[in-house]
Amino acid sequence: MAKKKGCLGCSFPVAIVVVLVILAIGVVSLLSGAFGSSLFGDLGLPEWLSVSVPHPELPAATIFHIGSIPITNTMITAWITIIVLVAFFYFGTRNMKLIPGRYQMIIESVIGYILGLCQDIAGEKYGRKFFAIVATIFLFVITNAWISLIPGIGSIIVHTAEGEAELFRGVNTDINFPLALALVSFVFVEYWGIKTLGIKYFTKFLNTRKLTSSICKLFKGDIKGGLSGIFYGIIDIFIGLIELLSELMRIISFTFRLFGNMTGGEILMLMMVFLAPFLLAIPFYGLELLVGFIQALVFSSLTLVFANIAVNPAHAEE
Amino acid sequence: MEGLGIHLSSLIAQVFNFGLLLLLLYMFAYKPVIKMLDQRAAKIKESVDQTEQIKQQAELAEKETARIIAEASKEGQKIIEQATQIGEETKQKAKQDAKLEAERIIAKAKLEIERERDDAIGELRNAFADLTVMAAGKVINRSLDKEQHRQLIDKVLEESNVLSKN
Repeated sequence: MAKKKGCLGCSFPVAIVVVLVILAIGVVSLLSGAFGSSLFGDLGLPEWLSVSVPHPELPAATIFHIGSIPITNTMITAWITIIVLVAFFYFGTRNMKLIPGRYQMIIESVIGYILGLCQDIAGEKYGRKFFAIVATIFLFVITNAWISLIPGIGSIIVHTAEGEAELFRGVNTDINFPLALALVSFVFVEYWGIKTLGIKYFTKFLNTRKLTSSICKLFKGDIKGGLSGIFYGIIDIFIGLIELLSELMRIISFTFRLFGNMTGGEILMLMMVFLAPFLLAIPFYGLELLVGFIQALVFSSLTLVFANIAVNPAHAEE
Repeated sequence: MEGLGIHLSSLIAQVFNFGLLLLLLYMFAYKPVIKMLDQRAAKIKESVDQTEQIKQQAELAEKETARIIAEASKEGQKIIEQATQIGEETKQKAKQDAKLEAERIIAKAKLEIERERDDAIGELRNAFADLTVMAAGKVINRSLDKEQHRQLIDKVLEESNVLSKN
């Protein structure tokens, strides 16, 4: 291999020019942003360089109505996500071959990765049954997160009945979406628990076994054993209630984990662009890519873990 | 709730979206891809098994070949030994036969010679006797009874022992 001259793959003059241009953009960005205007006052820079203060709003804006159903911008983005995902997989799986091409290989590695995750956590048998839901959660969340990172996606403004609104907005930042996913996850987990364990599944929440058996003991005359049994029985019932509460709490934690992370990320990027229009936001794009992946992984694997707990009897009863 | 933007209709729509995506992905992604992955795994397993089998067969064949070669070599060795032995035997027998034949011929020749000699002696004797009788007859000029003469001569010859038999 010939030894390369220059720096970063360019010859020295090109590299120097590139560095200078980047520096210039950085300086302009710093001066024109909020930093610059607060430090140096108004420098008379062109108006298009300054970014107005972002006003992030939590509720999604309604774009139009179908009958009485309001269609929000996040819903439109969700449909785009669905179209993107389905198209991606539809064209990749139309004519699959035993010896895969590159495109098929990408699709297979994505599916294989999630399937591997499912089977690692839930075992061979349940892994496949849980796979569809878990994979859909993962793909939906990660695609939503990454679609909302496309530069300029929030810049398309439409005029609606309620004023101006963005046409597209990251679906994960609309609380209805994380909440919907959390409910799906909750129903899914409870469904599998009941389906696998039947009525026994509910003994996790209302464990009266010890209490009734010790009351029987009490009637049979074993006062000491009976009383301590009743004590432990009451503790069991209390634990069951906590279990039930934690099951319900999961919905909230699921919802706000995703919502908070994604909304926080969005606002962070808006603020960075406001502070300095160029360059400064780029590292945060990388960070948000990672966050999107992590949140998708967390949401799907937590669902998987909870489902796995639900199908396995909690404690081997004495 | 209003501040966060939770709306029942949006919530239901998002659940519906999720269900729709689940259905579509199941149809276009999960089912075909998992089928393909399973198919490939089965295929790979099959070919690995086949390879193993072929390897075993080859090993077996190799062993068999080695065995056959060893056997053939042993067999060949045996045949050579046998041939050598037979050759040796044949040689011995031929020698023996030749010797016997020679002995027989020699014996026969000896016998013939003896017989020839006897014949010759007999003939000579007869001739000699006739000659003697004739000579004697001439000398004494009288003819003797032939039979008497012969006896006489024979007697003389016996006594003289000159041309005795054996």
